[in-house]
Amino acid sequence: MSKIKVENVSFVYSAGTPFEVKALDDVTIEIKENTITGIIGHTGSGKSTLVQMFNGLVKPMSGRILLDGEDIWEKPKSIGSVRYRVGLVMQYPEYQLFEDTVIEDISFGPKNMGLDPDEIKKRVLEACELVGLDFDMLSKSPFDLSGGQKRRAAIAGVMAMRPEVLVLDEPAAGLDPAGRNSIFDGIKRYADATGAAVIIVSHSMDDMAKYCDELVVLSHSKVAMFGNRKEVFSRSRELEAIGLGVPQITRLVMLLRDKGIEISPDIYTVDEAETALAALFGGGV
Amino acid sequence: MSYIKIRNLNFSYKDDEGNPESVLRDLSLDIEKGEYVAVLGHNGSGKSTLAKLLNLVIEDYDYFEGSIEIDGMEISSPNMTEDDVYELRKKVGMVFQNPDNQIVATIVEEDVAFGPENLGLPREEIRARVDEALRIVGMTEYSRHEPHRLSGGQKQRIAIAGIIAMRPDCIIFDESTAMLDPMGRREVVNTMEKLNREDGKTIITITHYMDEAVRADRVIVIDDGRIILDGKPSEIFAKADKIRECGLDLPLCSDLLIKLRERGIRLDGEINTPEQCAETIARSLLK
Amino acid sequence: MNSIALGQYYPSGSVMHRLDPRMKIILAIVYMVVSFLCNNVFSFVLLFLSAIALVLISRIPLKTVLRSIRAIMFIMIFTAVLNIFWTKGSPEELLISWGIIQIYSSGIYNAAFIAIRIFCMIIGTSIFLTYTTTPIQLTDALEQLLSPLKVLHIPVHEFAMMMTIALRFIPTIVEETEKIMSAQKARGADFTSGSLSKRAKALIPVLIPLFISAFRRAGELATAMTCRCYRGGKGRTKLNVLRFTYRDLIGVLMMAAFISGIVLLNIFAPGYSM
Repeated sequence: MSKIKVENVSFVYSAGTPFEVKALDDVTIEIKENTITGIIGHTGSGKSTLVQMFNGLVKPMSGRILLDGEDIWEKPKSIGSVRYRVGLVMQYPEYQLFEDTVIEDISFGPKNMGLDPDEIKKRVLEACELVGLDFDMLSKSPFDLSGGQKRRAAIAGVMAMRPEVLVLDEPAAGLDPAGRNSIFDGIKRYADATGAAVIIVSHSMDDMAKYCDELVVLSHSKVAMFGNRKEVFSRSRELEAIGLGVPQITRLVMLLRDKGIEISPDIYTVDEAETALAALFGGGV
Repeated sequence: MSYIKIRNLNFSYKDDEGNPESVLRDLSLDIEKGEYVAVLGHNGSGKSTLAKLLNLVIEDYDYFEGSIEIDGMEISSPNMTEDDVYELRKKVGMVFQNPDNQIVATIVEEDVAFGPENLGLPREEIRARVDEALRIVGMTEYSRHEPHRLSGGQKQRIAIAGIIAMRPDCIIFDESTAMLDPMGRREVVNTMEKLNREDGKTIITITHYMDEAVRADRVIVIDDGRIILDGKPSEIFAKADKIRECGLDLPLCSDLLIKLRERGIRLDGEINTPEQCAETIARSLLK
Repeated sequence: MNSIALGQYYPSGSVMHRLDPRMKIILAIVYMVVSFLCNNVFSFVLLFLSAIALVLISRIPLKTVLRSIRAIMFIMIFTAVLNIFWTKGSPEELLISWGIIQIYSSGIYNAAFIAIRIFCMIIGTSIFLTYTTTPIQLTDALEQLLSPLKVLHIPVHEFAMMMTIALRFIPTIVEETEKIMSAQKARGADFTSGSLSKRAKALIPVLIPLFISAFRRAGELATAMTCRCYRGGKGRTKLNVLRFTYRDLIGVLMMAAFISGIVLLNIFAPGYSM
């Protein structure tokens, strides 16, 4: 089922001045329910603009954004409710923390929704569990947490609104490997628990290969590729031409095939490669 | 004699309640002139503290024991004068994580000139150094630009140029690629490599990215304030268990080959890069 | 977003832009003083023409200049009108007498003079200092002009450095403010509706992160500056030293000619004088 449809959307910054910059040019994509969609592209490819369109922070200059088949800008006054249904986690979200305690900060979104206190508490605890934040952190000041914990608290603040679509812009940027994994695991748990459509923006092809079902490749403000993981990664030469590269494992598989080894080209993660290669080696020992 | 010589370093901060928080424990380390060293470790392992100590930019500490010697100068000595510290900072430069927070001026070349200006060099000398530094990082054509309009990778290269212009022997990169996109990371890592290979600078890079560490001559893994592993990249990545214990990831291809080895498949050869891994697999399979 | 204009700097690349900024500060002050020397119709006409000449030399569109003095227009008219009514001249200058309101010809003159003086002072300073000089050039120039004050232990260098850093960080912090606002909007914050106190309260989730981030940036910047051997203005040299060139000499000579013109007209020109 399609959750969000982006139809022929375009956007230009500083339109009509000499500084005019095209951010999105006739972009059409579809985001499915129960699916993790990855958006890949260079800095300046229009990703950030697109991400802020899903929840109505940026209004398209032409084209439409449909949420469950309805144009979100049909009634501009009710754009606020769209922001609760489509949760957006911006880059480095820990810089938005401001309350005295972690629990109050995570409650900020649900409170703005006008939920009653019991429901807020329930959602906050649920969100903490999803992102893997210990409950004894809740009474601390958000500024006393470690970098990775702050990030998780900020993501929990959006999850606590229980959005039907969760959009995350570079959720793991700047974290160490352990921190990265815990963030992505939390996102996956949210997707599994709620069936929400999840959209992840990332530079890392390896993370994309590991977590995403569908992929959108943006290049020079246009959709260069859109399809499932297999469809996109099979066009590895084009990806390299855009300068994005392919997952490291896919690169390894390409090298093996070049050497005449019969291995399926549709392998993107360590686990998949391990299984395939073990089979080639006769199932290991 | 080693360029950097650290002996039995114990170091602790004061936390908010004023209790000591141990960061480095009995750490000893030698780094030679011209080495290219990557320091790995998860957040809070003590690696950034170590870097900052080498430049004496930590003020609020609780406890400091052991010795640090740089280029024959005992920098941990209590007799260090302000002028000694100044001399030290001329020798060891530092590039930080967030490029926005280390650029001082509103014009690229004036920012690069900031260090040499502080050194009180004559105008012609500053000019020459600024031009040279911008050339090395490949930003000559941007000399009159405003830094805030540049990309992350470009800003970080300006920050590097600002350090190069002071002509240090050694440059420490404290997670300088963490906030950059892959293109920016590539720009910065290539610059590091060039500074080491062509200009003979000692490079110490602190990073989370294994694919960056692979490019160094030597990798040091720090966990809980101690050095856990120290050796060539290929030696380090062969010790998969230890790496994972320290909360770090292996490069994906190395990880794959180690998992295959754990299944009992014999794979001999280097496993640092995808190319080496492919070579190693092909050799065993096509034997 | 990236095109935040600081002040009103207008890069038309004229000769005026290339003058030494120290010189421009001095010229601006001299110009203001000279506008007070004028005392008769002829010298005021010369003053007015000089302002027009400044606009033409600096190649700033007249429209841009006029738009920027719109706000000052009110003060100009207000002072002028006050002068018309308040000036008491000799009986032979009396033009209109209507109850307590008496208007003298000298009042009309004075009003026109004051209006021209304010107009020219504004045009003069903005042409010299804001339209043709970047804030950073001004900071540099002020540091050098005020450097004799260092003898009195006034931290001239430190003030200039503070100004430079402020200028450098304004775009960064504006950008950050927008980001934080978007992030809080995504969590349902509403900055545009409700009473004034409600709106003020809605800014807390923006201001707190902004301040915290500013402190963090300040700390990191201080460390980075320390690492680059910064220890105040002592012993520091500069890459770009301001230089007095033949252009500046021409500027000085033109100003001198202008001053003598005003003085001569003041002494020898006929008619009403202030």
